[in-house]
Amino acid sequence: MASDSSPANIHGGPLSPDSLASSPIGNTFSSPGDSRRQKRGRRSSYATPPPPPDSRFATPDATPTPSSTNPRRGRGRGRRSSTTPTAAATPSSTDDAPPSSDAGDGDDIDEAPPMYVWGTNISVQDVNAAILRFLRHFRENPQQIEGKYMQAINHVIEIEGESLDVDAQDVYDYDSDLYTKMVRYPLEVLAIFDIVLMDMVSRINPLFEKHIQARIFNLRSSTSMRNLNPSDIEKMVSLKGMIIRCSSIIPEIREAVFRCLVCGYYSDPIVVDRGRINEPTICGKQECLARNSMTLVHNRCRFADKQIVRLQETPNEMPEGGTPHTVSLLMHDKLVDAGKPGDRVEVTGIYRAMTVRIGQTQRTVKSIFKTYIDCLHLKKTDKSRMDVEEQMETEDRANRNDNDFSVDYEDKVEHLKEMSKQPDIYTRLTRSLAPNIWELDDVKKGLLCQLFGGNALKLPSGASFRGDINILLVGDPGTSKSQLLQYIHKLSPRGLYTSGRGSSAVGLTAYVAKDPETGETVLESGALVLSDRGICCIDEFDKMSDNARSMLHEVMEQQTVSIAKAGIIASLNARTSVLACANPIGSRYNPRLSVIDNIHLPPTLLSRFDLIYLILDKADEQTDRRLAKHVVALHFENPENSDHNVIDLPMLTAYVSYARKHIHPKLSDEAAEELTRGYVEMRRRGNFPGSSKKVITATPRQIESLIRLSEALARIRFSEWVEKPDVLEAFRLLEVAMQQSATDHSTGTIDMDLITTGVSASERMRRDNMVSTTRSIIMEKMQLGGPSTRLLELLEELKKQSAGAEVHLSDLRNAVATLASEGFVAIHGDSVKRI
Amino acid sequence: MVGLPYDCLSNPLGAVRLTFEKAVASGSDPASFEGKDWGAADLFHDFLFDNGGLSQVPMLNPSALKWVQPNTLVRFRGMIQDMLGNEFYVGAHKDGDIWRTNKFTDTSQFPMAPSSDMRIWERRLLYCIPVPGQNSWAEFSPEAVKNPYTNSLSPQREKRRREDDATMSDVDMQDSCHELQASLSAKKMREDEMDFQPLNSQKTATEETSSNASLVLDAETKSFSCLVKIYDSPESNLKLNDVFEFVGIFTFDPDLTADKDDSDELTHGFGEDALLHLPSSKVPRLHCLVHRKLAINDFLSVCPTLELKSNAVKELREALVGHLTAVLGNDRVTAQYMLLHLLSRVHARADTIAVGKLSLNLTCFNKESASVFGNRLKLAIENLLPFTHYLPLTVDYLNTVSLSPKKDYNTNRLVSGVLQLAEGSHLTIDETELQAGTLNSTGVENASVLKSLMEFQKVEYDFTYYKMEMNADVQLLILSEGKSNLLPADLILPFQPSSVDSPSEVDADMLKTWRWYLATMRSLPHSIEPDMQKVVEDDLVAARQADRSLGSQDLSRWLTMGRLISASFGETCLTMEHWQMVKELERLGRERLHGNM
Repeated sequence: MASDSSPANIHGGPLSPDSLASSPIGNTFSSPGDSRRQKRGRRSSYATPPPPPDSRFATPDATPTPSSTNPRRGRGRGRRSSTTPTAAATPSSTDDAPPSSDAGDGDDIDEAPPMYVWGTNISVQDVNAAILRFLRHFRENPQQIEGKYMQAINHVIEIEGESLDVDAQDVYDYDSDLYTKMVRYPLEVLAIFDIVLMDMVSRINPLFEKHIQARIFNLRSSTSMRNLNPSDIEKMVSLKGMIIRCSSIIPEIREAVFRCLVCGYYSDPIVVDRGRINEPTICGKQECLARNSMTLVHNRCRFADKQIVRLQETPNEMPEGGTPHTVSLLMHDKLVDAGKPGDRVEVTGIYRAMTVRIGQTQRTVKSIFKTYIDCLHLKKTDKSRMDVEEQMETEDRANRNDNDFSVDYEDKVEHLKEMSKQPDIYTRLTRSLAPNIWELDDVKKGLLCQLFGGNALKLPSGASFRGDINILLVGDPGTSKSQLLQYIHKLSPRGLYTSGRGSSAVGLTAYVAKDPETGETVLESGALVLSDRGICCIDEFDKMSDNARSMLHEVMEQQTVSIAKAGIIASLNARTSVLACANPIGSRYNPRLSVIDNIHLPPTLLSRFDLIYLILDKADEQTDRRLAKHVVALHFENPENSDHNVIDLPMLTAYVSYARKHIHPKLSDEAAEELTRGYVEMRRRGNFPGSSKKVITATPRQIESLIRLSEALARIRFSEWVEKPDVLEAFRLLEVAMQQSATDHSTGTIDMDLITTGVSASERMRRDNMVSTTRSIIMEKMQLGGPSTRLLELLEELKKQSAGAEVHLSDLRNAVATLASEGFVAIHGDSVKRI
Repeated sequence: MVGLPYDCLSNPLGAVRLTFEKAVASGSDPASFEGKDWGAADLFHDFLFDNGGLSQVPMLNPSALKWVQPNTLVRFRGMIQDMLGNEFYVGAHKDGDIWRTNKFTDTSQFPMAPSSDMRIWERRLLYCIPVPGQNSWAEFSPEAVKNPYTNSLSPQREKRRREDDATMSDVDMQDSCHELQASLSAKKMREDEMDFQPLNSQKTATEETSSNASLVLDAETKSFSCLVKIYDSPESNLKLNDVFEFVGIFTFDPDLTADKDDSDELTHGFGEDALLHLPSSKVPRLHCLVHRKLAINDFLSVCPTLELKSNAVKELREALVGHLTAVLGNDRVTAQYMLLHLLSRVHARADTIAVGKLSLNLTCFNKESASVFGNRLKLAIENLLPFTHYLPLTVDYLNTVSLSPKKDYNTNRLVSGVLQLAEGSHLTIDETELQAGTLNSTGVENASVLKSLMEFQKVEYDFTYYKMEMNADVQLLILSEGKSNLLPADLILPFQPSSVDSPSEVDADMLKTWRWYLATMRSLPHSIEPDMQKVVEDDLVAARQADRSLGSQDLSRWLTMGRLISASFGETCLTMEHWQMVKELERLGRERLHGNM
């Protein structure tokens, strides 16, 4: 056995702590002596040639362990090797000693001469002591009487567990030097870790048989799969990714029993040594001593589970024009089947490389290495939280542990907070939202609110109020509704995009299907359920069948999907914001019909939308010109540097996700008062005599909407309190959305000239100025009740006053109309009369 | 450099070794070479581009595979179809006291003692295929690839072999180089034990080679592929679906059977290794020394040195429009549009909008005209553009074909789909065959993939657990009876041929000039003067005032057309004259469209 030089433990050899614990007889080979043996094993691999191929007889066909033979070869070669191993002093006798004699070995370490981790100046004793200190004394807060890990160890002993989870962050906090050593030389340090643990456990409970191993997780920095490079080999790394494939479970031999074919004598169990079983060549029975007569008895051998899992990069880590990278993970024992394909996980492990042999039976190795990760710890990333956080890679670190801010993350948060303090953050964010869709500022503001969302509220009584804001965009064709939808879909943490025409009720909610193979009924989620906690974008809402649309009633208010079908009665969460867009009835908005008649959706559904935007295309030269400018710019300017003041997409998502997670604004008294006042006002307006059902009246739902909107607005500012301006803005948004300011309440029709959607703030200011200038001109020039003046004359006057700036007749007309509505002037055709 | 002591062409490894030794001798630590070049790449760069060595390098293609020697310099033109991740290899190791390098090879040239000191470096693996839809004229003209080895044949084979054996033990650089230079073919034979035949009898030779080798060799270009190993190049330089020319060291062992499949699943962890499915016996390897991105111009065998003088270009344009008119049965308006369509490319992306694309939908095809003109058009386009595809759309086809590439996790490979196309490919979709029928889920998916390609110039790649959008730049031409609702094109134009006479033959030189014309004009930059911009804006506003149904897409299309018309005259700036042409063309198109409705 000593001649077997292949560096052990690449694949589940005793070196990997996972495998150490795995076998029920773990202590036979994971005893303190083991660590030395490992080191020695690695060292010897440089000195002695690999064994002849035929010695692999211990791996019979039925025990599929060849995978472990492959790696054995290459490992030492990967390491820097010129230095003379200082650990040579280790007595080799431990290797051959019967398992039982290992029990007291823990003490050896104290007496032995200083040992160093091979090739380094890390003293085994020092590390040993450091680990001991850490385990004994680490406390999360000073008040704790017992150390965190002492408690944990006791707990593990109580439940007869096999592993102790060690938060690497704790290690760092307690002893950053130890942390560094652990990450740089994980094989050695973890082996010592396990020895220390064994030692402690046996002192606490000498009868405790199982081996406890340390599972390290939560490294300070997580590597991107793409950035793994040769310098990471043999280091502890932490990776995020998605499991794409799991192999079947591979039984790996740990302990073999042989029987003599001649006399039937059973050998003692032979333990795997560096991934290899040495078949005895001579029968152990003194009377027999037959040569080459031993055969493996499968039933009496011990096997451990092993599994190879493939991890793939998550899509957002991929650069443009690349394909995802993958990496193999090696799972042992408890970690086997811990993740399923499709799971997003964070994995901590040791990056390993092994040489590739040209052929099964050939000793010659190629100069190529295969790499994999010996998995130490696997953490599933919570699905519901996942997607939100993935937008901001470092986000979930904060969530897991409040102390666990990486520098990077803190920087980012600082930056976000700074951004939020800017006075114009609201307009800046608005501008950054779909910067290529021109104008439509108010719609974008509404969508921004939707992205941020309000606070969901759950009363103890069971009643819940949704925080998600639903928006419907109704408008003329060609007003870039679909582009807006696409953009939001891209931006939202978790969203689905469907087209109304192609969606059925079941496709949106959930349906029961029969599994073709097993015949079991299974529940399949539809778009709304899948976009739980996200935004579900539905295009061509008007073209959806009534049946499908009616399914939305429940989703949009109760935020659940209920299914009662084929023996399955279920209620699924669908905490989704719905963003729908539709064309008015008859494709184009008909100004002669009322708003409701134009939209033509059942009022029950309409009332569930917080904001209904009428995006109307108005024949206005100004807007046309802006469109033309925009299109020309699109073609002739470099789109990358067109607008510097725009927040880029990743930043925007980070901002949104941070706000959604960390900011939960409450209503201030002042704001609440304002809400009440405004709502009453709205109700009164809705009850306008003769308004009949032509306008959308305020319902209790509207006040909820207003609360949500104001909360979202506060969130945009990262403010914990909803202030009065938020409420005012919410009211404004609601009004603008329905063009209420432009609606003639008696008929429900919209005065097309007064449409304000899509008018930017600067434009609005310009109009305001125009109105005031006009007013002052009229004040100056015209007598109260005097003769009327023609509009063109006014225009001349205006042009004189506002020298330079272009003034159009239509602008003036608008201004005068505003004045007329104030009762300041009266218009008769083209003439104006002051009254 | 005068008097190179080695031959870059036939013994590139020698050159690599020499530069390595030189660098080590000059005191550099081999450890510092990781991810860096020690002068080898510069050397080859000089040799290939400054000393005109490039033309001497044989082009790797299925026929060349039969005679190209391993460990010689070859070049390969192809599209990056898949990326197989990184590979770690022993970059440098110590053989006794001397540092050796394994860079640019698969196996070590010198025995590696297991105990030796070594450095691990990494390289990228790219799976490349010939550009999909490449037309035969765009393939590298065979006369340029001389087989330099045909003459050095076997009379002295036995002797060579012995000499070669001697050389193997001889590590003296000069000597071995010398030897290699003279006896490459012999060396190959020694290694492969394969009969080496003169060119004309190669067929038999290949048939005799091992069965898996012939898989590649007789299945023509379709299955031909190459595994390119890239050294020291930043990731962002090479992107999926890019077309590159790689120059590097060729390794290919049609006889290597050692790692054949007696290895079971477990050995390789469920065959996770994509390389397992691409054994070096089937897929040649190329250790890339120099790579460069190719533009369409690089595929033209002859580049007429025409200047961009407006008159010459005008004449060329006229001739080409005339040709297209003839092909399209005397429909000059369609020919004009067609020219613009052939010149279009995505030149910028703003969010979801791909600026510069101009997909064309020719309507009013019926059964007869589709068969006549469809084929004619197909041929004409094939003759003009290097990469073309033709998709006859039927319900069956939609239901069965896999249009978008899909990741196969069993083999860890990206399985190519019809729509994995190189930048600047042309795709004709013939919708005239489409009958009413039911689409299954594949069909629906395929239809939406096509639609997203039309609208956004993006193709969704299927990674099972998620989809990933890849940008594409494909010219799309749709032939249909009525307006295609399945595939919303930028431009819809009723096709009105007035004669069915077949167009006169075009001579090859003319075709070459036209190809050059299309490729060159297409890549012209474009700008606009401020006062012209004002005119354009005014026109757009006026048009929109007159017709409310014009959306931003229409306006955008006009600008694209303006750009393309300028480009078709070889100009880089939009002029009034060309803008008027756009408006005129648009008017004609509209007239036709309304006349037809």
